[in-house]
Amino acid sequence: MSDNKECIIKAVGLKKYYKGGEIKALDGVSLEIDKGEVVVIIGPSGSGKSTFLRSLNLLEIPTDGSIFFDGVDIAAKHVDINKHRQKMGMVFQHFNLFPHMTVLQNMTLAPVKLLKKTPEEAETKALEFLRKVGLYDRAQAYPSQLSGGQKQRIAIVRALCMEPEVMLFDEPTSALDPELVGEVLDVMKNLASTGMTMVCVTHEMGFAREVADRVIFMCDGVIVEQGTPEKIFTAPENPRLRQFLQSIL
Amino acid sequence: MGFFNSLKDEFVLNFIEKGRWKSLFKGLGNTLLITLFAVIIGIAIGIIIAVIRTTYDKNAETLKKNGGVKYRIMKVLNTLCNLYLTVVRGTPVVVQLMIFYFVIFTFVDNGLIIAILAFGLNSGAYVAEIFRGGIMSIDNGQFEAGRSLGFNYFQTMRYIVIPQVIKNVLPTLCNEFIVLLKETSVAGYVGIADLTKAGDLIRGATFSAFMPLIAVALIYLTVVVILTKLVKKLEMRLRRDER
Ligand SMILES: Nc1ncnc2c1ncn2[C@@H]1O[C@H](COP(=O)(O)OP(=O)(O)OP(=O)(O)O)[C@@H](O)[C@H]1O
Ligand SMILES: [Mg+2]
Repeated sequence: MSDNKECIIKAVGLKKYYKGGEIKALDGVSLEIDKGEVVVIIGPSGSGKSTFLRSLNLLEIPTDGSIFFDGVDIAAKHVDINKHRQKMGMVFQHFNLFPHMTVLQNMTLAPVKLLKKTPEEAETKALEFLRKVGLYDRAQAYPSQLSGGQKQRIAIVRALCMEPEVMLFDEPTSALDPELVGEVLDVMKNLASTGMTMVCVTHEMGFAREVADRVIFMCDGVIVEQGTPEKIFTAPENPRLRQFLQSIL
Repeated sequence: MGFFNSLKDEFVLNFIEKGRWKSLFKGLGNTLLITLFAVIIGIAIGIIIAVIRTTYDKNAETLKKNGGVKYRIMKVLNTLCNLYLTVVRGTPVVVQLMIFYFVIFTFVDNGLIIAILAFGLNSGAYVAEIFRGGIMSIDNGQFEAGRSLGFNYFQTMRYIVIPQVIKNVLPTLCNEFIVLLKETSVAGYVGIADLTKAGDLIRGATFSAFMPLIAVALIYLTVVVILTKLVKKLEMRLRRDER
């Protein structure tokens, strides 16, 4: 993006083994992500995309390796991971809105309890976000009264209410009906244009082409190839990447 | 005619004379009092135990990996909880009550308080299992969403998981209240004049068993039927709210 790049996340030699090493979900992944960069991760099912993304905020504890966030190794012992997670928003495939709370309560809970904002401050901010994503009138609705696309847009702004430095997306549109995918991608595109650092696992190649600064291709727990969208989509080198692209186009 | 006359005499003897009916309602009052406070204690204990046990089950691996004091504390707590559950569920409640009254709390002479404690501690074991099932049935995505926002494990439990669990298990909890209401009928063993004991005292005074015992049964039945109806209503409302 800019000339003086500032690294915000740096993963070094991440490994995640299951069943005593029988399953290697991640087998040594290293990656540096700059502030403001939009990174899209693609790859076949089971290649370790989710595991990698979830390692970044330690929802998965890596078997080995380090994750530097703002220069701090958050995978080390005795790190208050909760403080760091506040700065890393995450959006899930299945939204995970809190069903017992209204949209507004979903969005203000964490800012009030964790950032010690007053309820009024938090609400003002939340309503501002709701207006931006066109859901201002749903503030008092419960998640069960929303469509999938609406739920996911709420999930995104709920994370944004914590004013994160990075947003992590794990297949945010995969659980949506096709006609609802666009509205969520639009929100993500807008977010990218504000300069937010984003790491997205997605199968939406159109989004990757249009928005990504860099595309990462993962396979069997390692990064096989990476580069600009042009390079990845028009001049893929690795045979497995070529095969993958053929299979999805 | 003679039959009805003798029934009437029986009724007067057992309920009207010396205002005996009052003791039945006083007994019912005690029964409800014990049950209500025991359930409150049971819910408090139940939530704590359920949270400890599910925390241990969910996080044992990561805690173990980080090692140290936290893991050992959790392990000890979990073992204590299991011990409590085994003992409470493996012995009759009336024996627990008598041990409380005659062995442990010999220095307390308020039987009502001891009964509340004993039934509360007993109920806690059952409520704990209700809550544990409730916590386990909450989608893991709820935990992850909470944690990803920056809440620690216990905050996630408190603000996100437990409120949902309470809503889900409310009907089951109310049924536990109804079960407990009937179980407190052994409170007479430690000299508390609950509903059952009140009926029994009338029987002892009038040497007639039929009227007082049937009356006791009818009162329990009425209360239980009313409560059951209310629980059904609550259940339906909760289901409707889910849409
Ligand atoms: N808890 C677990 N226990 C055992 N194996 C697991 C566990 N979680 C993930 N795996 C394995 O790790 C590998 C990587 O999984 P991961 O979910 O990261 O893949 P993915 O690239 O996100 O796939 P998808 O596109 O299907 O979401 C898979 O082989 C998966 O079966
Ligand atoms: Mg995945």
